[in-house]
Amino acid sequence: MQTKWRYTIPWHIVFLLFITTLLFPILFAIGSSFRPLEEAYNDVLNFIPWNPTLENYRIFFGSMDVIQITFNTFLIASCVTLFKVCTSFLAAYAFVFLKFKGKDVLYFLFIATIFIPFSVTMIPNYLVISDIGLSDHLVGVMLPQLADAIGIFLLHQSMRTIPMSLIEVARLDNLSHRRIMKDIVLPLVKPAVTSTSIWFFILSWNEYVWPVLMLKSVEQYTLPLALQMYMSSEGGTHFTVAMAVAVVTMIIPLLLYLTFQKYIIGTFTSSGIK
Amino acid sequence: MHVSKWEGRRSYEQWKAYGLLFPSLIIFALFMIWPFFYTIYLSFFDWNMVAPTKTFVGFQNYVDVLTDPITYKVLRNTLFYIVLLLAMNLVVPYIFAFVLDLVLHRWKGFYKGAIFLPSVISLVVGSILFMWLLNPVSGPVAIVLGAFGITMPVWSKLDGWVIVGLSLITSWKVFGYNFIVLYAAVNGISREVIEAAKLDGVPLWRIFVQIVLPLSGATGIYVLIITIVQGLQYVFTPIKVLTQGGPYYGSANLIYQAYHEAFVLYRTGHSAALSILTMFIFFILLWLEFKFVERGIHYAN
Repeated sequence: MQTKWRYTIPWHIVFLLFITTLLFPILFAIGSSFRPLEEAYNDVLNFIPWNPTLENYRIFFGSMDVIQITFNTFLIASCVTLFKVCTSFLAAYAFVFLKFKGKDVLYFLFIATIFIPFSVTMIPNYLVISDIGLSDHLVGVMLPQLADAIGIFLLHQSMRTIPMSLIEVARLDNLSHRRIMKDIVLPLVKPAVTSTSIWFFILSWNEYVWPVLMLKSVEQYTLPLALQMYMSSEGGTHFTVAMAVAVVTMIIPLLLYLTFQKYIIGTFTSSGIK
Repeated sequence: MHVSKWEGRRSYEQWKAYGLLFPSLIIFALFMIWPFFYTIYLSFFDWNMVAPTKTFVGFQNYVDVLTDPITYKVLRNTLFYIVLLLAMNLVVPYIFAFVLDLVLHRWKGFYKGAIFLPSVISLVVGSILFMWLLNPVSGPVAIVLGAFGITMPVWSKLDGWVIVGLSLITSWKVFGYNFIVLYAAVNGISREVIEAAKLDGVPLWRIFVQIVLPLSGATGIYVLIITIVQGLQYVFTPIKVLTQGGPYYGSANLIYQAYHEAFVLYRTGHSAALSILTMFIFFILLWLEFKFVERGIHYAN
């Protein structure tokens, strides 16, 4: 027992220090966002708000329509998530349970899309979406994101654990694929569907690269764009206000993660690439 | 008759499968595969994205890109990003995953949860937080270093340092996901082999190198590949928000440079040629993925 502790204590210290470093920026942002600007500016290090104020949030909410921007972010993230999970579920079901010609080629093609960097697709997508008049429109942001090979991959890994014989028996009983999906497969892979959904929602909530190309007017902005704009237009001097915007941007993903932490970590742990 | 019924059912199943794949396929075709070929097409034309006509120039864009010294600077930067991202997001989390699984016995759930947490936060948020934390004059890190008599470099204005800074910011987000995936792989290795080695008094670093690395190798390669493919795209955000590729292309990587050519300089052909070169590198990684990783997925269980 003694020797065991001698081995583990240094590593516990390493882990605790590492986690403190990782989480410090978040605590720093939350703390600073409640401090008066001059006080925070003169004493950056002491980030605990001894004289808490909501002034920074008031400035942010006064400078732009935060409700609208939050709603835009929420709407894009919800639609993208719903579509992506549905398209991924159907495709994963076909890949796992159905026999068809060209399965290997199609699977390769789907996985290959992960390897196409956005620099390759950005110009044509920008042109097409502008041509159909959807640039500077939330739908234009959503369209290219409605399917995702990562989702197909994660659900594929989860569905593979279902015994094939279960599906074969259901087919012999003349159950339709729709019924098999709804009544057999979906209940069995529900944890994976839940965590994939939350993961997609968080990814889309945080998405920056594509929206920044698409969205031009402030009333269409999403939170990450608002945060970036505030920084550049204010020249970076209103640092406590920027921290307030950062807190508003990260609060939803953080709450979702803290609520569904076990699901999310569980799915990535059992996605089973061995 | 029996056979034909079976045949009929098989072809019905086939069409059903194509039907289920159709929604994903149409999105991929419209927004991934078609754009890929259109970008190849654009790489042979001189265009500025607004002019009504494109001028065919053959391989001139590729010649321009390959003779431009900035391209080589960007390539060197990209390579430096890859090395740093791999060190911070493959080597370190691999060791951490090994230690958490085989050395530590308490607080595993807490450690996993806390280490993953930054992965759910926007990189724009990360960029802005670190811009303040790593401010070389008034930031907390500079103040603490100053107390030890160390002057912090003005990292965002210096070649090399700027890439270190931006890689650190990106790693803050990427680390947790990679850590969890690697932890799962290490955790999936049969306990008997490791326990036997431990009983024989094999030192931990040898257990790591000779048992854990080979037995979790497919995941290791998977994490290596996604760290390069997604890492280089993730870095785009801090580059765009904090340095815009500066100082003088000192922080631009291939992806950012393609964006810069297209949406700042309006040289569509150059951007497309650069993207196609990037694609070549990524295709080598795709080949690796199918050679070493997907095979494991199909036949492991």
